[in-house]
Amino acid sequence: MKKVLKPREREQLLGTVYAFPMGIWFTLFFTIPLGIIVLYSFLKRGLYGGVEWQFTFDAYAQMFNPSFAKVVVRTLWISIVSTLGCILIAIPCGYAMAKSKYQTFLLFLIIIPFWTNSLIRIYAWISILSTEGFVNTILIKLGILTEGVQLIYNNGAVVLVLIYMYLPFAILPLFTTIDKFDFALLDAARDLGATKLESIVKVMFPNIKSGLSTAFIFTFIPIFGAYTVPLLVGGKDSTMIGNIIVDQVSKTRNWPLASAFSMVLTFISLVGVFWMLYTGKREQQQSKKTTQQSLEQNVRKHHLPRGGK
Amino acid sequence: MNAHRYNKQSKLSFSFSMLYLTIIFLFIPLFVVVFFSFNSSKGMQWNHASLIWYKTLIFESPSLWAAFKNSLIIALTSSVTATFLGTLAAIGIKWYRFKGRSYITTISYLPMVLPEVIIGISMLIFFSAVKVRLGMFTIFAAHTTFNLPFVFMMVSARLDEFDYSTVEAARDLGANESQTLTKVIIPTIIPGVLSGFLMCITMSLEDFVITFFVSGPGSGTLPLYVYSMIRYGVSPVINALTFVMILGTMVIAFTFRKFLKTVAASS
Amino acid sequence: MKGVEVTVEQVSRAYGSFKALDDVSVQIKKGEFFSLLGPSGCGKTTLLRIIAGFDYPDTGTVEFDGKNILPLPPDKRQSNTVFQTYALFPHLTVYENVAFPLRLRRVEKNELDRKVREYVHLVQLDEHIDKKPSMLSGGQKQRVAIARALINEPSVLLLDEPLSALDAKLRQNLLIELDVIHDKVGITFIYVTHDQSEALSVSDRIAVMNKGKILQIGTPYEIYEAPATRFVAQFIGESNIFPCTVLSCEPHEGEYMLKVDVPSLGGVVSVTDYDPLEIGSEVDFTVRPEKVRITSTPPRTMHKELNLYKGVVDEPVYSGFQSKFYIRLDNEEKSIVKVFKQHTTFLDEGPEIDWRDTVYVSWTATDGYLVKETNR
Repeated sequence: MKKVLKPREREQLLGTVYAFPMGIWFTLFFTIPLGIIVLYSFLKRGLYGGVEWQFTFDAYAQMFNPSFAKVVVRTLWISIVSTLGCILIAIPCGYAMAKSKYQTFLLFLIIIPFWTNSLIRIYAWISILSTEGFVNTILIKLGILTEGVQLIYNNGAVVLVLIYMYLPFAILPLFTTIDKFDFALLDAARDLGATKLESIVKVMFPNIKSGLSTAFIFTFIPIFGAYTVPLLVGGKDSTMIGNIIVDQVSKTRNWPLASAFSMVLTFISLVGVFWMLYTGKREQQQSKKTTQQSLEQNVRKHHLPRGGK
Repeated sequence: MNAHRYNKQSKLSFSFSMLYLTIIFLFIPLFVVVFFSFNSSKGMQWNHASLIWYKTLIFESPSLWAAFKNSLIIALTSSVTATFLGTLAAIGIKWYRFKGRSYITTISYLPMVLPEVIIGISMLIFFSAVKVRLGMFTIFAAHTTFNLPFVFMMVSARLDEFDYSTVEAARDLGANESQTLTKVIIPTIIPGVLSGFLMCITMSLEDFVITFFVSGPGSGTLPLYVYSMIRYGVSPVINALTFVMILGTMVIAFTFRKFLKTVAASS
Repeated sequence: MKGVEVTVEQVSRAYGSFKALDDVSVQIKKGEFFSLLGPSGCGKTTLLRIIAGFDYPDTGTVEFDGKNILPLPPDKRQSNTVFQTYALFPHLTVYENVAFPLRLRRVEKNELDRKVREYVHLVQLDEHIDKKPSMLSGGQKQRVAIARALINEPSVLLLDEPLSALDAKLRQNLLIELDVIHDKVGITFIYVTHDQSEALSVSDRIAVMNKGKILQIGTPYEIYEAPATRFVAQFIGESNIFPCTVLSCEPHEGEYMLKVDVPSLGGVVSVTDYDPLEIGSEVDFTVRPEKVRITSTPPRTMHKELNLYKGVVDEPVYSGFQSKFYIRLDNEEKSIVKVFKQHTTFLDEGPEIDWRDTVYVSWTATDGYLVKETNR
């Protein structure tokens, strides 16, 4: 007879067998690479790319160079403006989708452009906004313009295209949370004397906080680290942190500086993620069951019937 | 709740007007591109309808097709690997307590939330540090890494709806660990696994930024090819390609319309 | 007789600081319909899961016919489980669900088919045999689960609140069916429930549990008529419970006649008991509401040991076949006595009793009972 394992040992063994392949994969291709970046950001720049094994804060000091600082500030304002734009558009959209009878169809419509290749979508905007593009051609045809105007390669175009690219990232989580929201609460608020706007702001918003924070993070982080959009539709003054990192790696070959900027991006992203998790967790705790029930759950583990007794 | 939905639908409220405008906003650029893919001339001046760019796309773009072939190989291999690893890990983490569990859980969400540039740069530096030549393998490794979190999350979501008693029942009725896995768990969570796999395929075919860093000579994927073309302005062949790709996306999204809500919840 | 004897000896199980089972011992006879009854969190499910092999005790042993089974995994034990949530395999039909254990054992095709049909017939699901679980009602799903658990011909069937997700009417029917199946297959049934009426109506014996301990093991009659602890008296059925002190104890017709001082009832009450009690001991006096008689005039029979009280109807609760009255006694304590009255009309019944009526409540010495363990 085989050796019989106690449940504890069995769990340890099975958990390891099931989950460790992925754990090892991530360690190899995610944790270690990230660790190397952390390490490199404190090393001295090599003469022809690479690094020299000498501990220094040089890379971080370089970030305060005015030309870089300007880029950081620009990245911040572009990200904030685009993210707020996305969320302001996404709230009514998510609300309407949650109320609609045709949810699947609407989801379909949102997801089609979202799943279309991002370069193709940027390209579509280039062909609309460029000097010989769609908008200019039409305006000239209508006689409003005599010659093409440069609508592209400026910060406005960057913000517009960023909003376009990341709007679905804001709509989808907002839709999911608003869809779970009990609309009877709005009726109750109206019944108790709130106006429609008041009932939405005072009753619905507090209940969809986790959706709002998820939407914010899921748009802000990728926009903050954007690389292709500023590169392809931005002008000379549209460089963002993402572009600096890539330039430092591929052109200037200053790996420590690229690593240091990556650390800044990572740090800001992580702060955002933990904030998001925190709001999500607090919401869960508010709907927590009584101690008696959680005790029961603790014992029965997964055995409670759906919906409870 | 349903009755509620009905009476609100009847009048065109602010939120619905916004939604319709947004959908128009999302589709207009794509429509413009698709429209001009049927233009016989090169620019944004409408000449007359023609399929010439489709002909060029299909018959006269060998390097595009080579890139597409690379894309397909990468998408399939990385999606299969990610689906396999991610599904097993989701099962292990959902049902067992073991050492390293919280590390794996945390690490499995991070690649999804960090900016793509970071993932790309860190992998580039890692590969050059360990002296791995950039090429198909490095792209495969990178794609598997950013695909894994999606499989893991979607299978986990499916497992949340799964009644653990079913597993205990299988064990109780005489199934051993591997029989329980193949005869009970996998058949039940297969929709989650499939939608995870599908998500991987889409993400992998779509990805530009990360691939850009880890690709080497001769291993260019379709997005890299598109990038090299659009850097230098409007190209009618790309217009035609856009239409083909949108059609492809629609077919995929339609096939898996049942799981769209799961996708929405996870992205 | 088929089935095995299940012996649980000094089993304890803790989850962190929470003691789910605290030194529990119980012996379940061959072929018995045995119930574990208690409120949620009392440890009954944990005990069942330990017997099934899904959980493992910190200390203690579990034996089937004297053989320790704790080292065996669930699939090697002669027990099968019916789960509260049915735990049917959603991707398999009724037929395939029931056939699952046989397929694992690679039972020959004709034999498999014959057996599956036999067990599907046993739970009366012949016409639904090709349906998927999602197309079945809750009651039908639980029948499939029962057939699936029985087809391996286990010696013990473990039922974990199998009826709790069903509605009341269906629960009654399935309970009777379960009893019939038990008679047919003749194996040991261990039935976990928090519903006392389920446990009382089908069990051969019941173990009442609370806070990880077994408080009393006995037949339904014993549990109801002679509750061992205050908790059992309160949990099973309804009771009027008042603390009291024993004043005297004398033998009486094979039992003992006791006089006890019940402050809440304003004085001395006569009550019989099987066992003698020491004078001065502090116990609980209980009387079931259905044993209390309620009349609008003092009852005519002047039974020697009749306990009679005058009071006012504080709250009448009508529930169809009977009414429940809360009577506020006409004494210093103003205690409340609960009374059940069946809605049958006899010639000697007085006028209907209503709110605020003055009434008389009475019971004989043999209707009361003394609960010895008052702090469990």
